[in-house]
Amino acid sequence: MTRRYDIAVIGCGIMGATAALRAAQNGMRVVVIERDAAGSGASGVNAGTLSLQIKRVSLMPYALRGHAWWRAAGDAVGFRETGSCTLAFDAREQALLEERMALKREAGAPIEFLTPRELHAREPAITDRVVAASWCAVDGHADSSRTGVYLRALLREAGVETREHAGATGIASIDGGDGGFRIDLPGGELRARRVLLACGAWTADVAARLGVTLPIRVRVNTVSVTEPGPRRLSAGVGHATGLLTLKQKSSGAWLIGGGWQGRGSPQEGRGEVVAETLLGNWRLARFAVPSLAHVRVIRCWTGFEAWVDDHLPLAGPLPGVPDAWVLACVRGGYTIGPCIGPLVADAMLGRAGDLPLFDPARVLASSAPATAHA
Amino acid sequence: MSARRDDQADCDLAILGAGPAGAAAAVEATALGLRTVVVDEAAAAGGQVHAIAPGVTPLPRDVDRAGDAMRAALARSGADCRTGRRVWHLERHGDIWRVHALAEPSEPGKGGVAETVTARALLIATGAVERHLPFPGWARPGVIGLAAATRLLKAQRLLPGREVLVAGAGPLLFLVAKTIVEAGGRVVAVIDARRRRDWFAALPAMATRPDLVARGLNWRRELLACRVPILHGHRLAAVAGDAPALHAEVVAIDRDGAAPSGGASVAFRCDAVCVGYGLLPATDATRLAGATHRFDESCGAWRVDVDDDQRTDRPRLYAAGDGAGIAGAAAAPWAGRVAACAAARDLGALDARAHGLRAAGAKRSRDRAARFGAAMARLANVGDGAHAGIAATTLVCQCERIDRAAIDAAVDAGCTTLNELRSATRCGMGPCGGRLCEDAIARLAALRTGRTQAGVGQPTGRPPLRPVDLDALAGEFDYASLPIGTPAPL
Amino acid sequence: MSAGDLRIGGDAGRGARVRLTVDGHRFHAYAGESLSTALWAAGVRELAGGIDGPPSRPVFCAMGICQQCAVWIDGRRVEACRTQVYDGLVATSVPPEP
Repeated sequence: MTRRYDIAVIGCGIMGATAALRAAQNGMRVVVIERDAAGSGASGVNAGTLSLQIKRVSLMPYALRGHAWWRAAGDAVGFRETGSCTLAFDAREQALLEERMALKREAGAPIEFLTPRELHAREPAITDRVVAASWCAVDGHADSSRTGVYLRALLREAGVETREHAGATGIASIDGGDGGFRIDLPGGELRARRVLLACGAWTADVAARLGVTLPIRVRVNTVSVTEPGPRRLSAGVGHATGLLTLKQKSSGAWLIGGGWQGRGSPQEGRGEVVAETLLGNWRLARFAVPSLAHVRVIRCWTGFEAWVDDHLPLAGPLPGVPDAWVLACVRGGYTIGPCIGPLVADAMLGRAGDLPLFDPARVLASSAPATAHA
Repeated sequence: MSARRDDQADCDLAILGAGPAGAAAAVEATALGLRTVVVDEAAAAGGQVHAIAPGVTPLPRDVDRAGDAMRAALARSGADCRTGRRVWHLERHGDIWRVHALAEPSEPGKGGVAETVTARALLIATGAVERHLPFPGWARPGVIGLAAATRLLKAQRLLPGREVLVAGAGPLLFLVAKTIVEAGGRVVAVIDARRRRDWFAALPAMATRPDLVARGLNWRRELLACRVPILHGHRLAAVAGDAPALHAEVVAIDRDGAAPSGGASVAFRCDAVCVGYGLLPATDATRLAGATHRFDESCGAWRVDVDDDQRTDRPRLYAAGDGAGIAGAAAAPWAGRVAACAAARDLGALDARAHGLRAAGAKRSRDRAARFGAAMARLANVGDGAHAGIAATTLVCQCERIDRAAIDAAVDAGCTTLNELRSATRCGMGPCGGRLCEDAIARLAALRTGRTQAGVGQPTGRPPLRPVDLDALAGEFDYASLPIGTPAPL
Repeated sequence: MSAGDLRIGGDAGRGARVRLTVDGHRFHAYAGESLSTALWAAGVRELAGGIDGPPSRPVFCAMGICQQCAVWIDGRRVEACRTQVYDGLVATSVPPEP
C-alpha cells in the first residue's frame, strides 16, 4: 500500500530537518527523504563557523535566531561560544571592515571594533600586521560533522519518518483527485500532499523534475584540518573580505576555511580539492596566525554551496507548482537554517511568520523582485 | 617508436611507488620511449619488500640480490627516479595528471620543498598496508606490526626484542620469526591464526610457485629445528605488562577466527610482540584519483578495479602491484610491465599489434604468480569471528581513542556507512587517516548493521595522502601576492 | 633497560657514531639509521603522544603510516621512522615552547 504523508521533505540537511521538525510540531505527518545520509551534505562538511560577522546584513535577524538554536543544542553539536575577530591588513580592507561591521551592528549583531593593541591583548597569536579588527563575543563554532547524528536524533524523537540513502528516482504532481505528489523511491512509491525541496546543491535537479528551471549555481568550498597543535588561539579568526575562517578546536586541531574554491559538481559526485587554491587559503591563514607554521594538515575536503545571483535565499513556493515549496541558497545556511527552516514549514501551512520569506519567483525570468525585508 | 609528445606535461608517465611494480613499469616504459618519472617517499627505491636504509650495509647472508638488481635496472633505465618525495595530492586537469609532492628537506632542520609533476598518464603502484585486528594491549609499548618487524630486521638490522612473540596470519609470520632466530634473538612462539589444514587447503593455488612454497617450508623447518613453538589455529587475545616485561595471552580459535567461550588460553612472557594479519591493498591514492573500487570477498579487502591491462576506469590512470589486489611481490613486476605497455599503447607509443605481443607474456607470468599471492591473501584473511569477539572496551581507533562500544553505539543511532561512522565518532579521522583501523571499523560496522563489508562502503578519498607540514607547502609569500578574491556580498 | 644491543651485527657496516638528544635524554646511534631505530635500540618503547594524545611508540608501522612515532625536530613534526639520524639531532615528543 502506498504510504501517504502531509508533507514530504526532500533533503535531510539543516534546512529540511528543521522544517520537518516544525511541520511535525504543527501536527503534520512528515517524511524526510535523503539521497545520502542525514547531514552528509553542506550541513555536515562546512567549517562549523557560527559567526554573525560573516552574515549578510539583510539576513542578520535570521542569523541571530539560528545562532540561538545552535547555542541551545550545546555539547551535542560541540557548540562553543569563543568569540571571533575579523581582521584587516591594509587600508582598503580596513575601509571594507569598518563599513560592513557598522552595518551589521546596526542590523543587530553585537559587534565592536578593537584596536590592534586590544586585539593582541586578547589573542597574542594573531599577526602584528593587523591594522584594524572587529570583535563579536557571541560568535563561535560547532562540529559540523555531528550535525547528521544530532538531526537524526531530533527527528526520531519527534516521530518524523526519515528515509536515508533513498534517492528519489521520480517526483511528479498528481493530476486530479486530491492533487499532491507521487515520489518514487528505491523501496516503492509514496504520496504527499505537499513537498519541500531542501536539497542544497541538488535542489535545481529536483525542481527540474517538476518542470521548473531554477538558476541555482554551486560553489565548491574547501576546508582543511590539522592534527592537534599547541594551543595558541581561543577565538575564531576571519578576514575583512569574508574569505577566511580559522579556529583552533578544543582538541588543538586547526580548522581552515573561508570559501576557497575546489572543483566539481553535485552531479559528478563529491567535489575535488584543488592544490592551488588550497595553498592560497593556507597562506592567508598562516599570515593571520603565524604560529600555524609548523602544524601538519591531515585532511582537506570540499562541500557544495548553492547560490543564486542576488545571494538571497530561495524560501517560498516553487513557482507554477501548487503545494511545492523550496528552501535553498541561504548564504550562511549552517547558522541560519534552524531559523528559516521552521519559517518555511509554517508558511506551508498558511501560518504567517514573524520574519518574511524570499520568494523564489524572483529568480525566474520576468518575475517579481525579492520580497526580502528592507 | 616514440610517444606523441604533449608539451603541457613534464613527462608521459608518472609512477607512484618505486617498489617491484613501479620499478618494473618504469624500466618497461622507458624502453618503450615514454618519458617517465618515478616518485617514492622512501630514500631509496625498493618498496616495502626490498626496503633498504642507505646508510646501513646488510650482513652478507641478508644481501637482497633481487632488490639490488631491481635498483640497478631502474637506475640504468633512464627513468627520472625521485625518491624522498611524499605525494600528498593527485589531480586531473584536462588531459594532464598533476602529482603534488613534498620533497625531503635538502638538509636537516630545513622544511620540505613543494614539487609538482605533471604527466599524460599516471600509474599508481603504492603497494599494501598491514591489516590489524584490535585486541586489548595493541596500543601498548613493545607491540609493533609484523611488517614493521621486517623493516627493522632487514633494512635497519635491528631485533624487535630479545624474546619476541610473533603473531597474526600470513607468510610474514614465518619470515619474521626465522629472521629473528637467525639474528640471534629468541622467538617465544609463532601464533598463526590459520590451522594447518587451512594451509594444506591453499596448496593447490600455491603450487604455481613451488619455489616460494619450498622457501616457506624451509623457514618453518628452521624454526622447528630451533624449537620455536608454532601454534596454528591460535590468536593473540591480549598483551599486558610494561615493556620489556610483557605478558601475552593466546587463545585457540575456530575457522572463522572466533575463540570459543571457555576455551583454553596459553600465556607467554616476552619483551616484544610483532603482530599483523596480512596485507590490504593501499587504496588511498586510487580513491583520491577517483577510480572505482571493488570489494574482494575472498581477501576481505577493497581494491581498485583494473582491467586485464591494469587500466582503471579513469582516463590514463593505471594501477599495478598489491594496490590493485594483493598478488605478492612475485606478480608485481609483471603487472607493472603490463601497465607500462597499456600506457604506451594509450599514449600512442605502441600500436595494437605490438602492444598485444609485448603484453601477452607479462600477463601470463603475472597471472601465474598472482595465484600464489592471492592464496596467501585469502589465508591471511581471518574470519569475522575474530572481530565479533572484540570487547566493548577495546580500542579500535588508536589515534582518536575510539573503542568498540562507541562504534556500536553510533551504528545503533543510525549510522550505516563508514563515512557516517567517521563523522559521528571521529574514528579513523586522526593523523593515520584510518589506515590502521579502517578494516576493523568496517568489519565491526558490517557486523552491527547486518550489512556486508562492501555495503558499509569506503571512506571518501581526500588529500593529503599523508600529513603534510603546512609551512613547507605554503612556503614563502608576500601578502600582496595572495589571490584574495572578491569580498563576500554584503 | 635490559634490551642489550639489539643491533644485528653490532656497529659493523653502519655509519659514523652520532649523538642525539630525545626528550632531554642523550643517546648515540649510527648515521644512516632511522630515529625510530636509534630509539628502539636504546630501549625506548614509549613516547609522549603529542598534544593531549595517548602515549605512543617509536615504532609501530615503521613505514610512515601510523604516525605514532611523530616527534618535533627544529619546530617541525616529523616521523621518527622516516628521519635519518645525524649528529646533534634534538627531538621532543611534546611540542616545543614557542
